[in-house]
Amino acid sequence: MSIEVRNLSFAYEDHGVLHDVSFTVSDGELLAVLGPNGVGKSTLFYCLSGLHRPRQGTVTLDGRVIWDIAPKRLARQIAYVPQSHDPTFNYSVADMVLMGTTARVGGFSTPGPEEVAIARDALDRVGISHLARRGYQQISGGERQLTLIARALAQQAGVVVMDEPTANLDFGNQLRILSTAKELAGREHTVILSTHNPDHVFWFADRVLALSGGRVVADGPPRSVLTPDLIETLYGVRVRLIETEEGRVSCQPTLT
Amino acid sequence: MKRAPGRRGWVMPALATLLVAAILGSFAIGRFPIGPYELLGAVAPRSWGIGEVTDQMRAIVLNVRVPRILLACLVGCCLSGAGASYQGVFRNPMASPDFLGASSGAATGAALALLLQFPAQVVMLVAFASGLATIGIVMAIGQAAPGHRLLRIILAGIMVSSLFNAATSFIKLVADPTDILPEITYWLMGSLAKTRLDTVAFVLVPMVVGLVPLVLLRWRVNLLTLSDAEARTMGVDVSRVRWVVIVCATLVTAACVSVSGLIGWVGLVVPHLARRLVGNDYRRLLPVSMVGGAVFLLLVDDVSRNLLATEIPLGILTAVIGAPFFLWMITRRNEAI
Repeated sequence: MSIEVRNLSFAYEDHGVLHDVSFTVSDGELLAVLGPNGVGKSTLFYCLSGLHRPRQGTVTLDGRVIWDIAPKRLARQIAYVPQSHDPTFNYSVADMVLMGTTARVGGFSTPGPEEVAIARDALDRVGISHLARRGYQQISGGERQLTLIARALAQQAGVVVMDEPTANLDFGNQLRILSTAKELAGREHTVILSTHNPDHVFWFADRVLALSGGRVVADGPPRSVLTPDLIETLYGVRVRLIETEEGRVSCQPTLT
Repeated sequence: MKRAPGRRGWVMPALATLLVAAILGSFAIGRFPIGPYELLGAVAPRSWGIGEVTDQMRAIVLNVRVPRILLACLVGCCLSGAGASYQGVFRNPMASPDFLGASSGAATGAALALLLQFPAQVVMLVAFASGLATIGIVMAIGQAAPGHRLLRIILAGIMVSSLFNAATSFIKLVADPTDILPEITYWLMGSLAKTRLDTVAFVLVPMVVGLVPLVLLRWRVNLLTLSDAEARTMGVDVSRVRWVVIVCATLVTAACVSVSGLIGWVGLVVPHLARRLVGNDYRRLLPVSMVGGAVFLLLVDDVSRNLLATEIPLGILTAVIGAPFFLWMITRRNEAI
């Protein structure tokens, strides 16, 4: 499923956040949106998921403007994965994932055996079946993020939008989450995720969209567009790029 | 390894059995004890001739005990169901049916109607209508004010109910202290003593109309306990579902208050007990809360009419039982809600 954003501008009251953002993501791609805190990544993701309606511009999904699609249908096409959070009430991991199937269920009914099977399958694919009966509040941050990804899978949507999936996670969990995202993109999903770590982009993304001041400053394959100059524009620090023997690129700060 | 609160499939059948036992037991205790066999005789047509049932006994069963037991169950069921629903849509474990001021509004309406010496049916009607009107005001303010929507509805509820509490106090101040004031005071303390069959008939319709959507929407309420963004992107029409749940929960709360006065704690304690038993999934939580509420209030009402020679107002009893129980529940184990 391909998603196209054209000339999108968004403002909260009179505070402009996004200015004339355009890009497309094609089927099966993993797009990383890179930018410093407060640059409008979350706002962009809200627009992509149909939660915010931008002031100008359009977001289209296989040619259809997403705010013309009813929430229930949209939920089966775009899944939104929030930053891992602490909900008021404690649900089991299995129930949390089952909630992803809601769009399949009639307004006045509850999920049936078919939905339970979908949820179980989603848990399995993310590799957290053993957590099914644990409480969401009692598992670790990385496990929570995996649960939310499983929930997005249970939604059976072609596009998965992840808002800083690695925020507040330790090193190992960051890599685990990103590998899972990469795996999804390799199969039938289009994945859009945000990060503020250039290394994540080099290691996992097919393409990078760099945002600065609410505008797109670069769009393309990480190796060709993510230069030390661009990183300095985004974050105000000098870095060197180092290529390892296996051909991986890594970002190294130039400490003064 | 900590697990989420379990499924515990035995809870619902156990509660249902307990409810039947409590209903039969409630007939058996009182100034005129009525055993199961006599009960059968009293409700069956006279021609069947079951048991030795006097006309007086039949009158007590049909006009006093049946309506009262029925109403205790209904009010308990509705208050718990409304409390659990409010907790879900406001993502607030401390929410209860009087959370938004439906009770305060209904109380003011009832106090005013009593002050004007309206007949009992009119008092009921005025209380019911003013409870609903209060929520109308709260929701209107909540929609109009800027800022976080849930928070401003809650704040509007706090403000409006404190205004209505002041109005009730003022009505008590000007009421005739020899006959009207005691009546108002007694009404405010909550009681089912004046229940008649037509009382039950009056509230049955709003209660059923309110409870049915709450039960049907219970899966959607699970999603509303998460963030709006999550619920919406999973396909829930957040504002519509929340609005329906609030209206329905308010409808049943106003119906309860209009016939029973202010009975606190039921709508807070019972849903929490249910959360402990079956977890937070509303598919199980809501039915268990409702049946549990019916059992709880029926038993409390039995105490109310049998403990002392005079009836103890229900509001006092539910507070005396509910508050320490709640305290025990939240301190017992360091377990997440």
